[in-house]
Amino acid sequence: MTQPTQDPGTQGTEVVSTSVPPTRPPLAQDTAGAVQAALGAEHAAVWVYGLVSAFLPASFDKAIGEGAQAHRSRRDTTERLIGASGATPAPAEPAYLPPKPVTNQASALELVVGAEQDCTVAWRAVLERTDDADVRTNAVAALTESAVRATRWRKAAGITPITPALPGQP
Amino acid sequence: MSATPPLTRRALLLATAAAGLAACTPAPAAPPPPDPLAALAARARSDAALANAIATAVPALAAPAALVAKSRGEHAELLQREVDRERPPKPSSSGASAAPTTTQAPSAPTDQAAAVKALTDGLTSAQREAIDVVAGVPRYRAGMVGSVAAGCASLVEVLA
Repeated sequence: MTQPTQDPGTQGTEVVSTSVPPTRPPLAQDTAGAVQAALGAEHAAVWVYGLVSAFLPASFDKAIGEGAQAHRSRRDTTERLIGASGATPAPAEPAYLPPKPVTNQASALELVVGAEQDCTVAWRAVLERTDDADVRTNAVAALTESAVRATRWRKAAGITPITPALPGQP
Repeated sequence: MSATPPLTRRALLLATAAAGLAACTPAPAAPPPPDPLAALAARARSDAALANAIATAVPALAAPAALVAKSRGEHAELLQREVDRERPPKPSSSGASAAPTTTQAPSAPTDQAAAVKALTDGLTSAQREAIDVVAGVPRYRAGMVGSVAAGCASLVEVLA
């Protein structure tokens, strides 16, 4: 898990249309905690995609762009879900500390795989902590998409096994 | 219903006797609805069997098909264990319900493209069915089935 290096800072806001209603009932306390943690994993993934782009050749540009966009979109949806239920979405950290220094293509690929795996674990944890149908729909989609991207990156990096049998299982 | 005969003493006695009998005889309870995880486990078993057959029949797909077989085998075992935990199988049928190896080996397509398509179709359906199940199960099952869905989607990517 990438660790924040500084105190929380401010962040930009983007407007993306999704199916989250403007207001909704509050989330149960355990659900809210898990969703905030998943938001944290999405913030970290957005940051990681920004970092690794400096270490990967242009042939990865499309995959980086798609991954970054997917995480920004999931982050925004999750922030709106938290906001609509009356809570305050946790902001992104200004920077994160990768578990290992990123110095080249191999370490960059390893970091992006790790960021996707962190998202799968966080979203599976949401599934285990909510009875809310909308939250579950969101969580299983996020879990699945991160698992597929992690697989794609492992394939590119030659990391085996290419996928675990049960992505998101801690 | 309009022509109900007046309640005679004999009819009343018969009725109370019948009611007493009914109360003593355990009413055959409606069978519980099938466990939704049982269907997911069955599909996982058949996916694993097909992938095993393809791993042998199509050498070019040996590695990815073996990964599909191993992963779907794990899914089958996990899901079946959960089905059996919640509703322990009757002793007489325990062997049959829990034995994943009794599935008859399917005939594998020997053409590579057809084999990839057969595996991908099975995994795509499995993913969809798992996502449908996630909505209505208890929390710990939702996590398990969510990971199965994500695993199926990832295996499709392995074959892509």
